[in-house]
This record gives sequence, structure tokens and C-alpha cells, in this order.
Amino acid sequence: MTKTTSTRAQTILLVEDEAELANEIKIELDRLGYLVRTASIAEAADAARVGDAAMMIMDRIVFGEDSLKTLEVLRKEGVKVPVLVISALSSIDEKVHGLKVGGDDYLTKPFAMVEFVARVEALMRRLDDVRTTKLRVGDLEMDLIEQTVYRGDTKIDLLPREFKLLEYFLRHPGQVITRAMLLEEVWQYHFSLETNVVDVHISNLRKKIDARGVPSLIVNIRGAGFMLSANA
Amino acid sequence: MREFFRSSAVRVALAFVLATTVATTAVFALVYFQIGAANEARNRLILEDEAAKSVNRSIDELRNAFEVRMTHDLRRLDYAALFGADRKILFGNIDVLPAISLDGKSHYVTASRAPGGDNRLEPAIFVARERPDGTILLLGRSLLETLAFRRIVQSALATGLAPMLLLALAIGAFFARRASRRLTTIHDTIALIMKGDTHLRLPVRSRNDTIDKISRDVNLMLDEIMRLLVQIKGVSDNIAHDLRSPLAVVHAQLERGLESSGDEQLRTVVKQALTHIDKAMLTVSALLRLADVEYGPKSSKFRPIDLSAICTDLFEFYEPLATSKSIHMTLETQSPVPILGDGDLMREAVSNLIGNAIKFTPEHGTVSVSVTQEDGRPVVRVRDNGIGVEPGERDKIFQRFYRTASGHRVPGSGLGLSIASAIANLHDFDLRFDDNDPGAVFEMAGRKK
Repeated sequence: MTKTTSTRAQTILLVEDEAELANEIKIELDRLGYLVRTASIAEAADAARVGDAAMMIMDRIVFGEDSLKTLEVLRKEGVKVPVLVISALSSIDEKVHGLKVGGDDYLTKPFAMVEFVARVEALMRRLDDVRTTKLRVGDLEMDLIEQTVYRGDTKIDLLPREFKLLEYFLRHPGQVITRAMLLEEVWQYHFSLETNVVDVHISNLRKKIDARGVPSLIVNIRGAGFMLSANA
Repeated sequence: MREFFRSSAVRVALAFVLATTVATTAVFALVYFQIGAANEARNRLILEDEAAKSVNRSIDELRNAFEVRMTHDLRRLDYAALFGADRKILFGNIDVLPAISLDGKSHYVTASRAPGGDNRLEPAIFVARERPDGTILLLGRSLLETLAFRRIVQSALATGLAPMLLLALAIGAFFARRASRRLTTIHDTIALIMKGDTHLRLPVRSRNDTIDKISRDVNLMLDEIMRLLVQIKGVSDNIAHDLRSPLAVVHAQLERGLESSGDEQLRTVVKQALTHIDKAMLTVSALLRLADVEYGPKSSKFRPIDLSAICTDLFEFYEPLATSKSIHMTLETQSPVPILGDGDLMREAVSNLIGNAIKFTPEHGTVSVSVTQEDGRPVVRVRDNGIGVEPGERDKIFQRFYRTASGHRVPGSGLGLSIASAIANLHDFDLRFDDNDPGAVFEMAGRKK
């Protein structure tokens, strides 16, 4: 699986005062090949300033202190390190606030580790803001200007939402994408669902983009979500 | 005793006594001054008039008139005398001309010798006027009567005030004692309620005074608190139950895992355990979500949103799911239906309704969504012809964790409708259930302004 390729010696700073959760996070990310260092808010901020962090994971409230304040300061100073905010504060207002002051993603506790890892991977592999006009995986090509999708020579007609869905997968090839991520990014729905609507949308998309006789481009990752095979 | 004086009832009683004293004294003072002044003004006029009329009478006439006056008309004139140009007495009942100007106007003299020869001094009003023949006419009126009247008023006040004060004090003390007794009862009752006798209520009499009104309000508040307490207890029981079941299963599974012989068996057990943990997390997340909504965004943060657009968006989102279950889905909108609200929350509420409808509708059923304006009120209806809700369960479905007997087979936190209802409430909307026979209609309508 993709996990064998992820031996990147990049430091992820973890600001989290719940020792057990911090430990679990560290073990999981270690296993994926990331270097994780736990830090206080001040330490993390200093490391980020000198470019010593590939990413920061911040608990919203650490030892009674609001870490978003530090984040806001960092962003004002122009520090661009990707930041994932994790928090027990789950209202949409809090989420919006977290993203507004400079968080790149906001995950509410309690979360499943697969969800957490997917968010971390998405941020770690986030492409720098390159203005790509074409996205491609194997013989599937999407033209963002023309708003067209081709599989080989065959043009594929997609509904607007299906187009957005596929675009999201193409922007994150080889990464685990959770249902919650799709809901947030493709539909802008910030609530959890008790139905498998997303799976139905994926299966409809598959029917349109998959070619006969070859495995589907989008695979199910059990207990986690979906993934667009990078080397199809 | 200090305690007694500090009680507000006693203070009220004392204030009552003070007020009574001030008011009574004021009335007496008014009578006192008013009567004196009116009497004096009238006397002055009479004297001046009399003096003016007497100026041109002959001396004999005057002498006669004086005698008649002195003997018959004591009420009006107390003093009458004629003095020569040399200011010596010619006749009359006063020997010395008082030191006043001879201008025919009345003057107040503090102490003049009383007529009749005894040496009493009394206040009086005099008018002196020079006649054409050089003689001086002096008329006067004693103020002794007015003074006596004033003295009567004074002594009336003195003798009347004391018993009246005592009476006011007694009445005040009586009411104060009664009020403080009631307050003490209320105080003691509240203390008992705080100690745990939650069934106790404050006494309310039929008379409906302020204390009764407040007592009744407090009782209502206590009832509401008790209702909430019972509800919270029910909710905690439900939470405990909803979390205990998956935890018990996980516990059993993990135990089995420990004893398992092979990797494969262990893996299966762990997977099953994870599923149940996920279920527990779903419950916890939904609960947190509910708390967020209930203590969540204030309406000051509401913005204009279009219910019609929200429903259309959700319809398109859910339609593939319905199609996959061979459920026919229809949408009726009247675009746009603007309201003030939180778009994310409204989306969540309607999503819960549509998701539920699809969940509880069997294959080949129909789910229809409509957004309309009725009498200026925005109304969202989600109608299905699925299994519906048993009549006995209809008022329970909005309660937390309530899942209908048939709904227990369908996965979910049991909080979806509670969340939708809380969101509706936040927006001044009512979420209601109606029977669709068969199936259910959930109607979310703006309240009448």
C-alpha cells in the first residue's frame, strides 16, 4: 500500500495536553513514517517561525490556553506552515473561527484515527498553490478550464457536483479521503450524516468514469473512506 | 432585636408611622395658619372700612355709635376711641394712641393694653385716621380670639397625635409581624427545598397580593426546574444505556479477543469492537452537537438565507440515495423563500428530515419535499409513505434518544429529530409531525409573528 512510500523525515509538531491522546497520535504517525515532536504552544510557535516544522497539530485549548491566539499571531507574521486544529469545541461557529484565524483544517473530538490520519496526510501532501489547469491520473484527464473529463479518448459527461467530487479526488491522488472530508469539501456540509449518501454518489461516479475490464479508479478503504489509485 | 429592626417589614411599618405623623402635622399646620390668616384679613378690611365711613361723622354721632358698638357689637370692634389733635383721649375705651401712622390702614400691634382697665396685654389690629377737624379716630380689634383658636388647634394636635402615632405603630407592627411571619415561612420552605425536599412548594393564599404572586412564580419555576431535572435524568439514563450497550459488547469482544488463538480471529474481534466504538462515538458526537445547537449561535448572527435553495441543494444530494433504494423523490419549491437564519444549521435540520424519510421508507415508496410560503410563513414539508409513527409514539419522537420500536432496527444515534427540533426552535420555527396515512409528514414552519 501507499504507506511504504511515506518515509519522510519531516517533523510534525504536536501541541496536545491530553497525554494519552498525544501518545496515540505519535504512535500512529510514527508508524506512517512521520517524525512527531510534542511541544508547548510557545515551542511550536518558535519552531514554526524558523521553518522547523512541516506541519502543526494543535489542540484548541492547551492547559487552559487558547492556541488559536498564537496561530493568529503566527499567520500575521507570515508563517505558512499547515495547521490542523483538533478540538472538543464542535460548534460550526468554533470551526469557522478556527479556519478564519489560519487553521487549514479543523477536526472535532472525538475522532476516529483514520479520519485524523487522512486529514494529516491531506495537509502534508497539499500541493503548493500551483495553478494547474489539467488534472490527470492514468488515462483519466480533467480540464479545469474547459470543464471536461476524458477517459482515454472517451468524453465523460458529469453533473456539476460529480465534477467537483472527481476534482477533489484528482487533487488528492493516493490519499485516503474520508466521507466527512468529502461532505465538507465538495458539498460544504458541516454536519455528520447517518446515511450512506456519499457512498451512493461515489458509486454513481464510478459507473461513469470506470472503464470495462479494469479495476475501479476509486477504491474503498475499509473503515476509512475512499482512495483514487495513483498509479492506475 | 436587631434582626427585627433590619427586617424590611419593620422598616415599612416605621416608615408608615413617620408618614402618618408628617401628613397629620401638615394638615394641622394648614388649618392653623389658614384660619389665623383668613380671620385677620377679614378683620383688617372691616376696620379700614369702618374707619373710612367714620371720618365724616360728627363727634356726637361717633360717641353714640361707639357706645352702641361697645355694648352690642362686641364681635367686630374691641377698641374705639377719638383722640384730640393733641393726641389726648376725648372719649373711647383706650387711653393711649398706639404708635401707628394715621393713614387709615390696618396695623398690627403686638401688645396693646386690653380694654376695660385691667392690665392684660394682647395682640390687636388698629386703624388710625385723622379727621378733617384734626381729631384722630382709632378703631381696633383684638386678636385674642384668633390666638385662642390657634392654641386650641395646637393642643388638639398635641393630644391627638400621640394616640394616633401609637395606633399607626400598632397597625404597622401588626402587618410587619404578619408579613415577616410569611417571609419566614417562605425562607424556611426554600431552605427545605434546597436541602432536597423538592416536592415542597411555597404557600399561596387566595388573596393574591404581591407575596402570593411572587410565591406562585417561584412555584412555577420550581415545577419547571423539576421537569427539567426529570428530563435530564431521563436523558442521562438514555445516554448511559446507549453507551453501555456498545461498551458491553466491546468489552465482551475484547475479552474474547484476548483468549483467541489465531491472528485472524483476533482481527475479526477487533474489527467488530471498532464498529461498536464507532457507534458510541456517533452518540457522543450527536450529543455534543445537540448541546452546540441548544446553547449555540445567537440569532444576532443570523443572515438572510434562502430555504428554497437549501432544500433544492439537499434534494439533489439525497436523490441518488433514494434512487438506489428505488424510492421516488419529488421536490416542490416556490423560489425563493427568504428567512433570517444560520444556513449550516438549517441545512442540517432539513438533511435530518430527508435522511429520516428515506431511511424509513421501503423500496418503491415516495419521499416528497416541498418549500412554500403560507400566509407569509415559510414552511418546509418532508412527506413519505413509509412506516410512519405509531399513534402512541408520536409525542415521543422528538425526545432525545427516542427510537420507535420499528426504528430500533435502523442504525442511528436517535438524536436526529432532537437536533432538527432544536435547530427549528432556534429559528423560531416549529417542527411538527403529522400522519400521512401511511407514512409521516414532518412540517417545519415559521411561527406566526
